[in-house]
Amino acid sequence: MTAALVELQGVRKIYRLGEVEVPALRGVDLRVESGDFLALMGPSGSGKSTLLHILGLLDRPTEGKVFWEGEEVTKLNGGRLAELRGRRIGFVFQMFNLVPNLTALENVELPLIFLGLPPRERRKRAEEALIRLGLGNRLRNRPNQLSGGEQQRVALARALVTDPALLIGDEPTGNLDSVTGREILELFSELNRQGRTIVLATHDPEAAAVAKARLRLRDGRIIERT
Amino acid sequence: MIRDLFWLSLRNIRHRGLRSWLTVIGILIGTAAVVALISIGQGLQRAISAQVERTVGYNTILISSRGLNLGQRIRLDIEAIRAIPGVRNAIAVRTETAYVEGPGGKGFLGVLGYDPAMQEFVAEMNLSVAAGRALEAPGEVLLGSRTARALGAGVGDTVTIEGRKFTVVGILQAQRAGGFATGGLPLLDLLIISLPELRELFPGPELVQYAVVRLYDRADMAAVREQIQEHLRAVGERNAQITDFEDLTRSIQSMIRGVQAFLAGIAGIALLVGAVGVMNTMYTAVLERVREIGILKAIGAKDSHVLMLFLFESGLMGLAGGILGLVLGFGVAWVATLIVSRLFQAHGAFSPALSPGLVVGALFFSFLVGAVAGLFPAYRAARLPPVDALRYE
Repeated sequence: MTAALVELQGVRKIYRLGEVEVPALRGVDLRVESGDFLALMGPSGSGKSTLLHILGLLDRPTEGKVFWEGEEVTKLNGGRLAELRGRRIGFVFQMFNLVPNLTALENVELPLIFLGLPPRERRKRAEEALIRLGLGNRLRNRPNQLSGGEQQRVALARALVTDPALLIGDEPTGNLDSVTGREILELFSELNRQGRTIVLATHDPEAAAVAKARLRLRDGRIIERT
Repeated sequence: MIRDLFWLSLRNIRHRGLRSWLTVIGILIGTAAVVALISIGQGLQRAISAQVERTVGYNTILISSRGLNLGQRIRLDIEAIRAIPGVRNAIAVRTETAYVEGPGGKGFLGVLGYDPAMQEFVAEMNLSVAAGRALEAPGEVLLGSRTARALGAGVGDTVTIEGRKFTVVGILQAQRAGGFATGGLPLLDLLIISLPELRELFPGPELVQYAVVRLYDRADMAAVREQIQEHLRAVGERNAQITDFEDLTRSIQSMIRGVQAFLAGIAGIALLVGAVGVMNTMYTAVLERVREIGILKAIGAKDSHVLMLFLFESGLMGLAGGILGLVLGFGVAWVATLIVSRLFQAHGAFSPALSPGLVVGALFFSFLVGAVAGLFPAYRAARLPPVDALRYE
């Protein structure tokens, strides 16, 4: 069997809130194959975000192992993880999370700065990414001059500009009206059709519907896959 | 990449606008105070060095009583000192108190034995007469302006010094200065006759207020000092002190430096307060941007990138304060110098000095203060776990 893009083996995550231990994940096994489009569903507190963070190497499991393309990454140091995030993973968040005092173009350039690309190439790639998402006339605007849908597309451009192996969305339509949300989902589907691997966490049935597979979580476990 | 982080920092500073300026002002005031004090101090030092050099000069040795006490005279033979190898010339300033009678008054007055060689050594000895002429022949005397009044004597009159008659050939210009150079009394209170005649009036071992020795350019200062020491021992003088220009300059400089260090230390406290301001601003900035830090980490920023970003921000604010403080501080020093000069009527006597070392030092130090003040907040920002940072509202 070839290695999955990401594989979780027996992952547990326990948060400590003062004296209290809060289990967020209670043993998750999951394979994300190249070309997958997964939707993680479940009520708040079911562990969706935690699972997403561990998939995206933003967090480490308390127990269990994480493999990226067959290589165990659980024990890698922070710098190596940051590098992997920068090269291989693109994030889109519910709150868009653009840097407020930078223009759309500069926001999209940011991940390329951390990869150490020269300015000219950075600019070119960032412009292309924004143009592809229909924001060619918004390059110099700051986030507060953009609509929610435009901001989310800038965020998407920023996630895609590094050509990541895995695109992760944490409630990417949660802060958008239904029409704009549908547009964004359409973009995700299109990206998946082009071969991009995507994992979304969502409450939105419409979002779940565009995914190829749905994983239902409850109390830190995957209880159903459809 | 460092350039990009630098540029991002600049954007963040500008984004905070007023708050950044207030922080910069904290550093600015501290730097300005330090720069003003140091540049005034350096200017003063330079002025005093120039003054010492003009009156005493390099290659010059001063022989006086211990502690430069001019009331205490020392025994030495200036001819013997002139004969020491390496000595180009030497003079001894000798004044005696003599009983003097003039046409309109009498009393005990100071008499200076004048040697034309003195002009080369002591600026005040370039005697300029208000009336009459300089000394040319034996039996002539010059009067200080106050002495002339006290004796009721003018040019052409005769005065008697210790029983010998002298003809007044000139009255000196009234000048207050020269108490030191003339060995105690200012010129206007003296009578001046030639040194050989003073020696005739007061025979016996010669006691002088002080002597100045000038060396050849390549002479060995230490060797000459040693020989002078030997001469003083030979004539039984134990109370003399040998000072060269460098000793003198050094002791004056060290005194100024002491005062300067004290004042700069106080100014440094202002800078410290500025640094606390930077730290405060940076802490607030970290708290405000926890989420942004999370985003940066999610898209591939390493801890070191975040650290640099925040360090550049605080360092740049420090540097901005440094640049402005340098300008302001030098301006303050300049104005202060003008006011002091006017107050003491020492116009143009000294101006503040802005040495390259001070400029570079002030800029580097202000950057350093900013960066160090930002170190701890930046470190905290860098160490934030990305998930916590993203979850932060």
